[in-house]
Amino acid sequence: MSLSTAPDLEWHGESVTIADVLNALNRARRSFAQVDAGDEEHPHSRNCVMTLVAVAPDAAEEKRAIKAITDISMHHPCLAIVVRDQPQVRAGRIEATVTAHPIHGPSDQPAPCEVVTLHVHGAAGSHLAALVDPLLVSGVPTYMWWLATPPFGSGELTDALRVCDALVVDSARFERPFHSFVGLAELAERSHKKLGLADLQWERLTPWRETAAQFFAPEERRGLVQGISEVGIDYAGEGRGNRIGAALMVGWLSSALGWKLEHAAAGGGGVVAAIFKAEGWRPVQVALRSMDRGQLAQGEISSLRIAGSAAGKSFSLSIQRDPQRPRPPESGEFQRLHPTGGEDDAAMEIAQRKAARHREVVVQNLESLHHTSTGEAPGESLPPQPKVVARERRRADTSDVLLTMIDIGDGEVLRHVQRVPPLDESTMLLNLLSIGARDAVYNRSLTAAAELMRAL
Amino acid sequence: MSTITQQNPLVEGLHDYRVADPSIMVIFGATGDLSSKKLLPAIYNLAKQRVLPPGFAVVGAAIDDLSDDAFRKHASEVISEHSRTQPIDQTVLQAFLQEAFYVKVDFGKVEDFRALQRKLDELDHSRHTGGNRIYYCATPPPTYETITEQLKAAALATGGGFHRIVVEKPFGSDLKSARELNKILQRVFHEDSVFRIDHYLGKETVQNILAFRFANSIFEPVWNSNLIDSVQITAAEEIGVELRGGYYDKAGALRDIVQNHALQLLALVAMEPPVAFDANAVRDEKVKVLRAIRLIEDAEVAHATVRGQYSKGWVLGERVVGYREEKNVAQGSLTETFAALRLFVDSWRWAGVPFYIRAGKRMPKRATELRIQFKKPPHLTFGREAAEELDPNAITLRIQPEEGISLKFGAKVPSAGVRLRSVTMDFEYATSFLVETPEAYERLLLDCMIGDPTLFTRADEVETAWKLIDPIEAAWRDDRPQLQMYESGTWGPPAAARLLQADGREWHRP
Repeated sequence: MSLSTAPDLEWHGESVTIADVLNALNRARRSFAQVDAGDEEHPHSRNCVMTLVAVAPDAAEEKRAIKAITDISMHHPCLAIVVRDQPQVRAGRIEATVTAHPIHGPSDQPAPCEVVTLHVHGAAGSHLAALVDPLLVSGVPTYMWWLATPPFGSGELTDALRVCDALVVDSARFERPFHSFVGLAELAERSHKKLGLADLQWERLTPWRETAAQFFAPEERRGLVQGISEVGIDYAGEGRGNRIGAALMVGWLSSALGWKLEHAAAGGGGVVAAIFKAEGWRPVQVALRSMDRGQLAQGEISSLRIAGSAAGKSFSLSIQRDPQRPRPPESGEFQRLHPTGGEDDAAMEIAQRKAARHREVVVQNLESLHHTSTGEAPGESLPPQPKVVARERRRADTSDVLLTMIDIGDGEVLRHVQRVPPLDESTMLLNLLSIGARDAVYNRSLTAAAELMRAL
Repeated sequence: MSTITQQNPLVEGLHDYRVADPSIMVIFGATGDLSSKKLLPAIYNLAKQRVLPPGFAVVGAAIDDLSDDAFRKHASEVISEHSRTQPIDQTVLQAFLQEAFYVKVDFGKVEDFRALQRKLDELDHSRHTGGNRIYYCATPPPTYETITEQLKAAALATGGGFHRIVVEKPFGSDLKSARELNKILQRVFHEDSVFRIDHYLGKETVQNILAFRFANSIFEPVWNSNLIDSVQITAAEEIGVELRGGYYDKAGALRDIVQNHALQLLALVAMEPPVAFDANAVRDEKVKVLRAIRLIEDAEVAHATVRGQYSKGWVLGERVVGYREEKNVAQGSLTETFAALRLFVDSWRWAGVPFYIRAGKRMPKRATELRIQFKKPPHLTFGREAAEELDPNAITLRIQPEEGISLKFGAKVPSAGVRLRSVTMDFEYATSFLVETPEAYERLLLDCMIGDPTLFTRADEVETAWKLIDPIEAAWRDDRPQLQMYESGTWGPPAAARLLQADGREWHRP
């Protein structure tokens, strides 16, 4: 079959049933197969990697879903179903569009990619499983990507999750980060291993996790893990913002290294101070802080510092995002303590925490003071902007650069530069779904992060 | 691999859970072709994927008198030209170049190696590499001995950290030279630290042969002489010898492809299940199969092998010259550009099953594949007429291009009567996963940094393969069987088809 003869099909119907949609889909498949008869050796079978169900609350989110799906389907044959629930529109109507187009891999054998768009009016949208179940491709995983904050704990979500293998969310976009994150953790606990969970915010942490893991990889450094005494994390946001990413990072470290949460306190400006107990009752201080980093998505980590000492040798690993960005002036005291040329925010944060230890009682009380003054529920803080923002490029771009600095004992400080790949939604989705969205490490990090959040 | 996971709990769950220790890679012949076209671009792409650990450095070592900056300029140019990923990420490139250094080394001068040692010691200190070194010989095989001896003389293969050496094929030109090479390498390096690169083994599809066989319960029970009729291995190239005429005229298809790539594929498809997917378990099983291959006796060579050489013709719509008209090829050369063999594996599993191998240049297209042909059903339930268009079941493992697997089976043609036809179920690598397939060199370089030799050839594998090839080479030097010419753009000389026709079979068209 030549590429030019591959069909590109579109069908649209108003006031239709799911049976009509299925018929249209089957017609498209037959049409594709007829043209794609193939030769004697390669009569091409229908190849499909997954069914991706995207649940979009409005037109803007629908557009966002279709953009990501289009990017993915350029290289990966799949069925995508975009559902937009419009309960306010008069009941009993489904408006549907089916498109099928060939994608061309390196082998010159086109594979079909199908996109079904459903605008569901009235109450039918609350029964998502009944809508999409007849359309799902058998034998391949079904992922449900909830573009807005899923209604955790609701019957609607429980119903929808019946038909999928994994739920995909972006916790950076949660409208009420604390409540939704706790809801997500409870869902993970309830569904145990039956339901996969994937979080785009977790994918944003991958370069940080990789770099931290690399630091402890050499055999002679593995013992340093037992000597970690300080962890400092800065994340993008104003006030408390969305600190799920930072909490997940702490959850990842604590669950992997067996730390138990002893005590946690939160203050203004997103400041969190926590004490974990590691093996042998060794305390590990953890400090989180929000920073105004407009070019990063809400809650994205901007710096990480892990420090400690083991076998008489001190060490620190410092990872900075966008290292060329001018730093706000710090007090002379901290400059003397950590002469790193202003590149090590998280280190300063730890120093700040240390200097403020004597005010611990006040810090503990700040929590209740803060919530009393803002009227927010404990642990809750609404982000000032609606979630993820478009990045504005201010100059020759270093916002995707990670600078790692390694300082061990008396050795020279080693600097290492890496580029974080563009984290558009389609790339993050692909990375998450390529491992099947059943990530035990994410689940245990989520549980540990939720424990930290609940303790604040 | 699992040991590392246990010892560093932070690697669990990462996309590639294997993390390399920081090390210094010394590339001998750093300004040459292999380094410029493959190694430096591959290392740049590893940096881009963020799998190079902080501290990793490259030290170029060659005869050219270059400064660090001049070498960086050279590296920048060749990476920009040959990297598989484009456009070049300048941030990654500039960061990588800061980790690249150069030392002028005349392989004959031990003092140059001592200068190299001083440079490496200095880098060890500033980059926390703990004495870990990888010496990559991107040089012609005759230099391996000198380099190895000089590394020993300059104490560059001892001390703290690991010391690994990487060599490229050919690993000798016969059993004797392969043994000598192994002895030279093993005098200085432990066998576990010798990484013999056969880039075929770095291909995902080759590794997938083991996954296909041993991660599925439905194939292994039929993977034996009870149900398998024969196995065909095809390694076809549409290109001629191009710029390798000088080397190829001394090697030929048997040494260039069959001794390594084709026999490696045969070993993977015929081996017993290893107890684990680790280096020694896998390679032990491969060696067992290679040892079980029946030697082709001198008297049998003329009947069990075919040698051919391409003459002028048309390939992919273009007129091409014959082998003897190629650059750097001797006039009247008798070197084969096509080799076909019939082999048997004398084991319980494979008794009586022929393994047909063919490898050639200037074939109609590039295709490497393994075809497992199954026996016909014992009884024609639907009658001879209904099954006229029905071929026996076959599994084809396509290594390149169109990497994938297909299964051919019979189905009823939709019509009033009963008529059967063969249909194909296809699995295509490119569109079946949500990830890109990595490049073989990148995978192998990373394996070497991690210290995982599973996909590298062990000394005993190399020697066993030469034991099979040497008697054939000896007979071919006596012109038995006679060299046959084949027109460029065809599937080899007619004798290749007759080799199978004599057994009542025919080659599968890739």
